[in-house]
Amino acid sequence: MNLSTNARIPLVTLVGPPNSGKTTLFNYLSGNSFKTVNYPGATVEYSLGKFQSKFSLQADLLDSPGIVSLVPNSPDEEVSVRSLYSHPELGPPDLVIVTVDASQLSRHLLLVNQLKKANFRIVIALTMIDILQRKKLDIDVFRLGELFACDVVKIDGRSGKGVENLISKVENIFLLEDFNSHETTRNNLADDTSDLISTFKEIEKIESEVLVSLDDSSILPNISKANKQLRILIDPRSKIECNKIDARTLKIDRILLHRIWGLVAFFGVMTLTFTSIFWLAEPIISQVDSFFGMISNESLKLFGYGWFGDLVANGIISGTGSILVFVPQIIILFLILGLLEDTGYLARGAMLIDKPLSKIGLNGKSFVPMLSGFACAIPAILATRTISNRRERLLTIFIIPLMSCSARLPVYALLLAFILPREKSWLGGFLLASIYIFSIVCSAIIAGIINRMRNKLIKEEDNSSFILELPAYRTPKFKVVLNNTISSTTTYLRKAGPVILTLSLILWVLTNFPNINPDINQAGLNEHEVLNLIKAERLATSYAADLGKIIQPIMTPIGMDWRVGVSLIAAFAAREVFVSSLALIFKVTSEETTLQNSIIAAMRNATVEETGQKLFTTSTIIGLIIYFVFAMQCLSTIAVSRKESGGWRIPILQIIIFTFTAYLLTFISVNGLRALGFD
Amino acid sequence: MKSASQLKFGEKVIIKNIDSSHPSSRRILEIGFTPGQEIELINSSVFNDPLAFSIRGTLIALRRNEADCIKVE
Repeated sequence: MNLSTNARIPLVTLVGPPNSGKTTLFNYLSGNSFKTVNYPGATVEYSLGKFQSKFSLQADLLDSPGIVSLVPNSPDEEVSVRSLYSHPELGPPDLVIVTVDASQLSRHLLLVNQLKKANFRIVIALTMIDILQRKKLDIDVFRLGELFACDVVKIDGRSGKGVENLISKVENIFLLEDFNSHETTRNNLADDTSDLISTFKEIEKIESEVLVSLDDSSILPNISKANKQLRILIDPRSKIECNKIDARTLKIDRILLHRIWGLVAFFGVMTLTFTSIFWLAEPIISQVDSFFGMISNESLKLFGYGWFGDLVANGIISGTGSILVFVPQIIILFLILGLLEDTGYLARGAMLIDKPLSKIGLNGKSFVPMLSGFACAIPAILATRTISNRRERLLTIFIIPLMSCSARLPVYALLLAFILPREKSWLGGFLLASIYIFSIVCSAIIAGIINRMRNKLIKEEDNSSFILELPAYRTPKFKVVLNNTISSTTTYLRKAGPVILTLSLILWVLTNFPNINPDINQAGLNEHEVLNLIKAERLATSYAADLGKIIQPIMTPIGMDWRVGVSLIAAFAAREVFVSSLALIFKVTSEETTLQNSIIAAMRNATVEETGQKLFTTSTIIGLIIYFVFAMQCLSTIAVSRKESGGWRIPILQIIIFTFTAYLLTFISVNGLRALGFD
Repeated sequence: MKSASQLKFGEKVIIKNIDSSHPSSRRILEIGFTPGQEIELINSSVFNDPLAFSIRGTLIALRRNEADCIKVE
């Protein structure tokens, strides 16, 4: 390549219909190192990387969202298609690699045909050859290339087979003399359905020319080879065979989409997913937790117990810990979802649940994001991008914070332990399950109500649609799923990490300043007790406490005081912070065996300052649980919700509606319980 | 005229045309439901909606009201 005329790094864009193996190929080519670029002002996002260094190919590689056609069907698709023609930051692509599912030739060649008509320079990457071969068919790559006047390569993005071949074709194109002088004017396609029908006719003709039967070659390899070369005698059965559904898939679907067994399997898979998110992650989470607890303590010893040491230990290190503590759950969630998706089951799950979800204004495609919401709302909101209908996507984003995320778990655990007598602690699991079911039912009701008022609240109208390909079942490739999991988890860390860390630092300032070095009567206290007292005094005289006292009038009607208010404010960093700030503000000293028991003991002794009544009773604890079910209590979620919904409307509605509902229902339950004689 | 949403399981029919007044009609054409193609109702969700059709060698799930705009012979 002539460097002087070609100083600019060429741009290669990957294009393909959904389920054509495009993202798998992208991850393979870029070696999982990429950044995401946003189309300004839109929620459509692209992954931008470079070819892995082992390919020694100097080019930018852009992964675009999956599209069926170059004629857009929704506002988001319009952005995708426009950016394919010319990306706002990167310009028009020099080369388009289009992935085509070889077993779906007649459907996927539509995009190839359109790309050709629009005058893009293309290379066809044929994927899913294994499925085609299961149908005893193969593709005449040479003939297909001739018909579209472009290079065609068979690849397996999962094992990397054929990728070297693809790379060398791309290199050859870049070396072509006319590469730089290539006519770059692109044609826009007309939105004409009769044209579409005739295009499909052309494609069907091409399909019948390139499909060859594998049966012949196994019996008479030489003759078949000769046939291929001469391109005579193409078995008419090929097309019939190709249009048959994979027999194994039909058999499995007979069970997994069965009226009864289908539901049983669905709930089985869901239960398994849930339990693994919680029980598999649990030991790893406590490891991460105690690791950060340890280095936080060590750094306190190292930097002293002044404000700087506290900033490092409780601001920076604990803040980082609160980001990483959710990573095990998120990895497990992405792994399970990835495995389910790779087998082909997730599409069936979405199909099963579409009808009930459509009744409350959601879509079958809302199902996976909502499921993710039980681990953490942030990756869940990011996952709503697969919902093509904008109104349904916004409603899904809206409802996700009501899914009982894992940060609520420590809070529920503490509150349930408080109201349950020790001999009845086995009831805890049962009550916890009830809280989850309660939150699911309530979020369905709220979604239904919001959907009724959508013209006033969501302000988006879009054609509600559920068109989803049910892919053939395949054995999942663990390595591929792991790769995708790693890239999703890094995306999560990059998105949420800085937000959570900044917020925890702000909250650290609010809960420690201005009285950073309080005067304490140290008489008769050991070092440990003095430190705890200093911490408690800092919090009690902090800006957060001032805020708490301001909101005291709001807390009194629900049977709580400013100290609970402060903990609720601190919980904005992450919900589980509620527990540790309760421990601080009620001056918990570790007399009991575990922190939880110490907090509970302190909570039992706490009284309302003016009246001397007990602060924490069965009614106020149930009130707090209900508050945590509904309240929009997570600043990171608000930030991601704003970014993904493309404005402040949705997050502000979430804050107002969820917090109001939380307060109202807490008020009703606390006072209702008291009126009924429960204290 | 009969539409794809009225098919019985296992019934194979040829698509006659797609009702272009339906907002999803263009997308339905683009994913391969074109006149002349053979389709078969393979499965339905537990709630009888969406329906899964075989078309061009793959399974596509559509909502019942979307299948309505696929007119068959």
